[in-house]
Amino acid sequence: MSRSINYTSSPLLASKTPVWRSKFIVACLALAFAGLAGRAAYVQVFGNEFFQRQGEVRFARTLELPANRGKVLDRNGLILASSVVAQSIWAIPEDVEKNDPKLRELARLLEMPLAELRKRLADEDRTFVWIKRQVDEPVARQIAALGIKGIHQRREYKRQYPEGEAAAHVVGFTNVEDRGQEGVELAFNQQLAGKNGSRRVIKDRLGRVVEDVRDVVPPVDGPDLQLSIDSKVQFFAYQKLKDAVHTHKARAGSVIVVDTVTGEVLALANYPSYNPNRRQNLTGEQLRNRVLTDSFEPGSTMKPFIATLALEKGLVRPETPINTAPGRITIGGSTISDTHPHDVLTVAEVIQKSSNVGTVKMAMQMSPREMWEIYAQAGFGQKPQVPFPGAVSGRLRPYKSWRPIEQATMSYGYGLSTSLFQLAHAYTVFARDGELIPLTLMRSEVPATGVRVFSEKNAIAVRQMLAMATGPGGTAPKAQTMGYSVGGKTGTARKQEGKGYAERKYRSFFVGLAPVEKPRIVVAVMVDEPNNGTYYGGLVAAPVFSETVQQTLRILGVQPDMNVKPQIVTEVVEESF
Amino acid sequence: MLLLAVLASAFYLVHTQYESRRLYTAIDRAQAQARKLESEHEQLQVQKRAQATPARVQQLATRQLEMRPVTPGITQYVNLPEAPAAVPAAGGPR
Repeated sequence: MSRSINYTSSPLLASKTPVWRSKFIVACLALAFAGLAGRAAYVQVFGNEFFQRQGEVRFARTLELPANRGKVLDRNGLILASSVVAQSIWAIPEDVEKNDPKLRELARLLEMPLAELRKRLADEDRTFVWIKRQVDEPVARQIAALGIKGIHQRREYKRQYPEGEAAAHVVGFTNVEDRGQEGVELAFNQQLAGKNGSRRVIKDRLGRVVEDVRDVVPPVDGPDLQLSIDSKVQFFAYQKLKDAVHTHKARAGSVIVVDTVTGEVLALANYPSYNPNRRQNLTGEQLRNRVLTDSFEPGSTMKPFIATLALEKGLVRPETPINTAPGRITIGGSTISDTHPHDVLTVAEVIQKSSNVGTVKMAMQMSPREMWEIYAQAGFGQKPQVPFPGAVSGRLRPYKSWRPIEQATMSYGYGLSTSLFQLAHAYTVFARDGELIPLTLMRSEVPATGVRVFSEKNAIAVRQMLAMATGPGGTAPKAQTMGYSVGGKTGTARKQEGKGYAERKYRSFFVGLAPVEKPRIVVAVMVDEPNNGTYYGGLVAAPVFSETVQQTLRILGVQPDMNVKPQIVTEVVEESF
Repeated sequence: MLLLAVLASAFYLVHTQYESRRLYTAIDRAQAQARKLESEHEQLQVQKRAQATPARVQQLATRQLEMRPVTPGITQYVNLPEAPAAVPAAGGPR
């Protein structure tokens, strides 16, 4: 049997294939490889930068590393202000299902009317809408659990003020962007804020960070700020002031407590105040830090400076008699009178009983320049050296423009203005035996060094007069406090209104120090427009001083320098015959 | 032979790269956790302080415990037995 097909010479294979075909294929392949090589070269070498950039755009992200705002602490390290994490709720209106029943629940959690929530979500063109900022963490967690589509959260910081209204004016507050708006928060905003850091990272498809592209710029947290304020003293001072303002139906009040060793401000409080954690419907009245921003005529509280100057000039001695009868004196056609006329008083008694006539008689023996110099040296008319927003310098006119009557009225505190802060500052002269010390709101360990204004002997002599003013026969026996000797001066000034003085509108002050022998604190109290019958500084402001001194010295651990009459009273049985 | 070595090395490189990224993610997560705990700690500190402010303490003391503010008038002086003086010594308040 023979095959009809010869394998070695298949007719199919026998077809004549042209050589160029195979060559063509080889050439095509070579070309393709060349193309690939070219492309590779392009990607790797020539277009490298472009592709790297594109890759980065897709996977590299710059993450902001927010710096923590520094805490504000009191002198014992207790927190006055601190930042905590709070979630802010935002939405993409287009993504939110408008009839989702969960929206009602969301509105309830946010304490927001449902209609208001719907209104915010109404504008579908916007891609980002804040629903509510700085929601507390537990609420935020519940909202996250609801899982509403289109509602998102963003981590932010919220400032918390545990001390509340007592320290509100000193500490101030920040706005929703964590920037200082008032008080220390504003004054030290730059320092507290710190510096944000950043890092450039590569994220994978799932959004996880897989690599740092370049070195991390670490955030620099704002350093903590330690104030001189003692939160206990602050609270007590605020509370006593608040009580006094309520009792006397006054408009407002302020108090400041100064440590005379270091010059630190231990407490600085104003009433009315506000809660910095809830700042809706705040008024200017509440916000004002009156101790620093309000200036007023200091009234009789200036008299001790005149008395000391008179002693310094050798015009008088503490026991020199001055005739103040009949309680009136006429200068340049105007009459100055005492509220309670006296006869012959010694210099010490002039201060003790706060006689205008006696003070004017001393002042008129001085030149205006001498008076001006002493006032200026005590810090009146000069901006206080505290980094606080809105601190006023008061007003002390140049002595060349003083008329005789003005010189007379200025000796008992009319015709010039000062803030309570300046007044307390000036009184450190008496507490520090004639030295004026700088005050500070920052904690300081070192004793303050002062500038000598009066001689030691005369400052101590006037301090004794201040002690007499709080004793029997003085203007402020109510300033006395149990266990500690005190000294101070009352002031009651009529308020200016327009061009003249208002009828029956007063400011009552008391500025004093304690204990008298070795003063540790200076306390100044001001009550604005007491309106409940009494308005004398000795009746309105002095009790606040008394209670504040009592609490402060005890908190500072100062040993009582006076014997205390025990209050433990036992039932007394009447003796029988 | 060399080719095999190159291949092995290349695979090992890929593996290491993967491992390093995995670990990096882990460290990043741990750091985030640390930050979160830190902020929680901060929050608790503030809450603790808010519970212990003088205002609150005083309110609780007067309302619930019926305490009243001390005055030096109710100080009790103790005389040390060594010096039984008739005059109350300036001893520490009790």
